[in-house]
Amino acid sequence: MKEQIVCKTSDLEPGQMKASLFGKQSVVICRTLDGEFYAFLNQCTHQGAPLDKGMICGATTEESQPGEYHYCRKGEIIRCPWHGREFDIKNEGRMLANPNKKLPNYNVKIENDHVIIYK
Amino acid sequence: MTTNQFAIVDTDIHERVQYKDILKYLDEPFRHYITNCHWIQEKHMPYTQPAVAGVDRADAITPDGRPGGSDLAFMQKQLLDDIGHEYGILTSALDPSPSSMHGWYEMATALASAYNDWQIEEWLDKDDRLYGSVHIAAQDRDAAIKEIERVGSHPKMVQVLLPIDDIMWGDPFYHPIFEACEKHQLMIGMHHNEPPVYYGKWPRYFIEWHTLIPTAHMKQVTNMIFNGVFDKFPKLGLIMIEGGFTWVPHLMWKMDQQYRDLRHEVPWLKRKPSDIFKQQIKVTTQPAEELTKQEFASLVEQMGTDEILCFSTDYPHWDYDSPTRALPKMDPELKKKIFAENAKAFYPKLPK
Repeated sequence: MKEQIVCKTSDLEPGQMKASLFGKQSVVICRTLDGEFYAFLNQCTHQGAPLDKGMICGATTEESQPGEYHYCRKGEIIRCPWHGREFDIKNEGRMLANPNKKLPNYNVKIENDHVIIYK
Repeated sequence: MTTNQFAIVDTDIHERVQYKDILKYLDEPFRHYITNCHWIQEKHMPYTQPAVAGVDRADAITPDGRPGGSDLAFMQKQLLDDIGHEYGILTSALDPSPSSMHGWYEMATALASAYNDWQIEEWLDKDDRLYGSVHIAAQDRDAAIKEIERVGSHPKMVQVLLPIDDIMWGDPFYHPIFEACEKHQLMIGMHHNEPPVYYGKWPRYFIEWHTLIPTAHMKQVTNMIFNGVFDKFPKLGLIMIEGGFTWVPHLMWKMDQQYRDLRHEVPWLKRKPSDIFKQQIKVTTQPAEELTKQEFASLVEQMGTDEILCFSTDYPHWDYDSPTRALPKMDPELKKKIFAENAKAFYPKLPK
């Protein structure tokens, strides 16, 4: 099993993300508002855009009636820098508009203030 | 290092001017109206900006924070060099946009001239790969023709841009513009602007507007064909930019069927509409729907020719199409045509 330190925990405030390398592969490390870390392949499933250039934000939910907006899930959604597709950090990187699609993700553990990812 | 292994002619690249950069090209008193009176073009879009960084790719913002498309060196690095463009056609960022101003045609005319001079000096003269579009304020037809006469013979100006807005350009009143284009071997490029797809006002949601942009393109194509533009100007070509392409077979079938029934109303049409389309109209690919290889091949077959589609990225806009990811796999001959040869065949001034 391959593991690798990709950054320090202090490199990311809650609600932030950054690109790193896992071997030769560009990965995006995300930290949600509860302090947890997640890691995904740093490529949108659509046309390959670098996700770390997008934003971490919240989302409007599907429970809305026409004309209603509920903004929630703050800090839990990656939005692609190109076409704006939304991926759910806490649900395996699944795409909000099509949950059958998901970002390839990595296991994450924290040891001695190091963020380590492994397959 | 380039990422592609095939020739690319990109038929839609949006360079962007900042007001402060265009001032030195602008005649008085119009410079005064911007510098002293703080004029900016009215903008209407009532929605949130569509994606993460407004209408641009978030990673296209320049390192010093200017909007995507503002800086030639950054565009070269991120787009032209990285992808390995053979040629790219500049189509502007429409801000300011002389051809879509609904009033004050004098300002629009002055802006068009300034924009053309800025484009030639700052872009076309500085990168051999880039070719340009003549901007005109076509609302003032005669002033527009003067501008075509002024810059249309520039060797790197390949088309005249007309907005898809609230004027239908096939009206015989505008035919002298096409005559001037033909004289200078300029094609017509049409691109939608921010005003509405249907005439009158915006729909309630951005997603409705953006979904239906192709209908605005279909209206202009139908209008240009049935008003007889293409028989009157046989060397003129029209390229529809950024309306996608999956509508093309539908419109060909519909126009041909209508022509069989109603030809008596448009006796100046000498060819069936789909033949005019095949011979004189091109369509850029972006924004491409996600089609399978089979769906895409079937669609091209339904068009009756593989010489209509011209690849475009729409860089630096948010709905950019990647040359390696946006379209499905296709056979090498078709790929050559769509990614380069169709555009080269279309623009007489583009090197073959």
